[in-house]
Amino acid sequence: MSIEALIMQVLSGLSTGMMIFLIAVGLCLIFGTVRVLNMAHGSMYMLGAFLCFWLTSILSNIAGSFWWTVILAPLGVALFGLVLEVVLFRRLYPREMIYQLILTFGVILLVSDTCKLLWGVEFHLVPYPRPLNKAVTILGALFPTYNIFLIIIGALIFVGLWALMRYTRLGRIIRAVTYNREMVSALGVNVPLTYTFVFVLACWLAGLGGVLTAPVSAITLGIDATILIECFIIAVIGGLGSLTGAFIGAIIFGLVNSFGILIAPRLAICFNFILMAVVLIIRPWGLMGKPE
Amino acid sequence: MVIRTQRKEFMKRIRWSSSKIWLLIALAPLIALPFLIGEGFLSLAIEMLIMIIAACGLNLMMGYSGMVNFGPAGLYAVGAYTTALLLVKTGAPFGFALIAGPVAAAIVGAIVGWFCVRLTHIYFALLTLAFSQLIFTIAYEWYSFTGGDNGIVGIPVPDFLAPIDHYYYFTLAITIVCLGLIWIIIHSPFGKTMQAYRENPERTEFIGIDTKRYRLKIFVLHSFFLGVAGSMYCGFNHNVFANYAHWLKGTDFIIACLLGGMYNFFGPVVGAAVYIFLEKLVMSYTEYWLFVLGFIIILLSLFLSGGIVGFIAEKFSTIRVKYDTQG
Repeated sequence: MSIEALIMQVLSGLSTGMMIFLIAVGLCLIFGTVRVLNMAHGSMYMLGAFLCFWLTSILSNIAGSFWWTVILAPLGVALFGLVLEVVLFRRLYPREMIYQLILTFGVILLVSDTCKLLWGVEFHLVPYPRPLNKAVTILGALFPTYNIFLIIIGALIFVGLWALMRYTRLGRIIRAVTYNREMVSALGVNVPLTYTFVFVLACWLAGLGGVLTAPVSAITLGIDATILIECFIIAVIGGLGSLTGAFIGAIIFGLVNSFGILIAPRLAICFNFILMAVVLIIRPWGLMGKPE
Repeated sequence: MVIRTQRKEFMKRIRWSSSKIWLLIALAPLIALPFLIGEGFLSLAIEMLIMIIAACGLNLMMGYSGMVNFGPAGLYAVGAYTTALLLVKTGAPFGFALIAGPVAAAIVGAIVGWFCVRLTHIYFALLTLAFSQLIFTIAYEWYSFTGGDNGIVGIPVPDFLAPIDHYYYFTLAITIVCLGLIWIIIHSPFGKTMQAYRENPERTEFIGIDTKRYRLKIFVLHSFFLGVAGSMYCGFNHNVFANYAHWLKGTDFIIACLLGGMYNFFGPVVGAAVYIFLEKLVMSYTEYWLFVLGFIIILLSLFLSGGIVGFIAEKFSTIRVKYDTQG
């Protein structure tokens, strides 16, 4: 393989990885803080993608309609997440795991059939937004500018989240809640509010992921399940509940995927399954996680 | 004290024999069923029976050992695909293909389980789901072998099973055998150990039980029963599709367990029957069955966590307590 082709493959892997990172990190955040595995997280992503399609077609005569969507759609998803958390999920935290899983699964079904009702079962496409609809030349090969943009956004979000967790009061509270919920509560921190905030932030990220992925993939029903499984793989590789783990896991996932496609185009996901199995045998708690 | 224990023993014996009688009474209408209802309802009954096998097999794992397999559909599909491929590609005898299905599911279950039992709790559930999606991907994408999204259609079935009432009796017999086996497993020392593990994994390990091996055994056993259900469904439907392995199919089984109540032997039986009935009923009115199912799931997990049988048992036990205190 020539060096140009290699770099192309790495770049496309990175852009896939960065997109999935936006969704996987939300899953990890919720699990790390609230200790609930939110199966409906993929639905937030799907909702974001559908909202993106819907808003861009409504706002199509406004210049830069896509960029308005980038602002509006994640907010919509976050709002939906807020309602969901306050009305449903809050009752769920003290319950057995199977009921947490099954209730969040119920939400998947509701969201999926609502999307079917509103937007139908066909494929939807969103065009590349201006000014990122061109390609740049890297080492003599053409590469879409939009994918470069995705890589940069993913890295920025990671740095932002890391800084939020590390340097702000809010981040300290979230980390403290993760560590010992009762003690933090005794110190006068409003723990349920922290949970709500984390949940809404994760939903916003998933919505953002959905919007930003819309131009590079087809929007249709069923993408919620696909992305959820991919997030699970990343979470297991990186370590559930770890921010850095999600980032590294996402990069590994993207790279394995983009090189796997060269070997077996339709079965590329299998390589990641194998990788996950290997990680589970060597480090069952994931690369960045801590053993329980 | 002695009298009390004796009375308890006696009551137990009575309850056991009366439950036997109840079983026989319940069996009579099931045997008479083909004479009472039409073909459409009979095929519904067959679907219920197959669902009962799958749900009870899954409950061995979920209810009795406390391990959540979130991807049972993968193993179910392995059973179905093995039977289908053997019948279509090699022309193997039906009986052989029907036995090979569950055996293949158990073998795949042993491989998947070997990975999964290394993890516990949520990680275990995640990994089972991921493996089931892996099986789905293989079934969906490997066109030359599994037929991809076209599935395998027109699976030959021997003539004596072709009439629907014959297949009904066949399914009924298999279901009774499977439920009997599950009953024996649960009430054996092995089953008691399973339940001990569910109640307290650490203590079970402290008294010298190799929990990992036990869990793997349960995994293989439950794969076998899921495989039986898959094979039976393949013979019933004469077609096999990739979405048998999809997680939506898998959650059908889980919801059937939960709906009936997973801490009771007959919970999944009731749950499976009610679930299939509800599904057909709602689907005859609207194509948005999943929407309705979503609501059912949310209500179920918020308000009816013991399931239908659990709910009835609870009401019944409060009545009995009242009666006992009065007497």
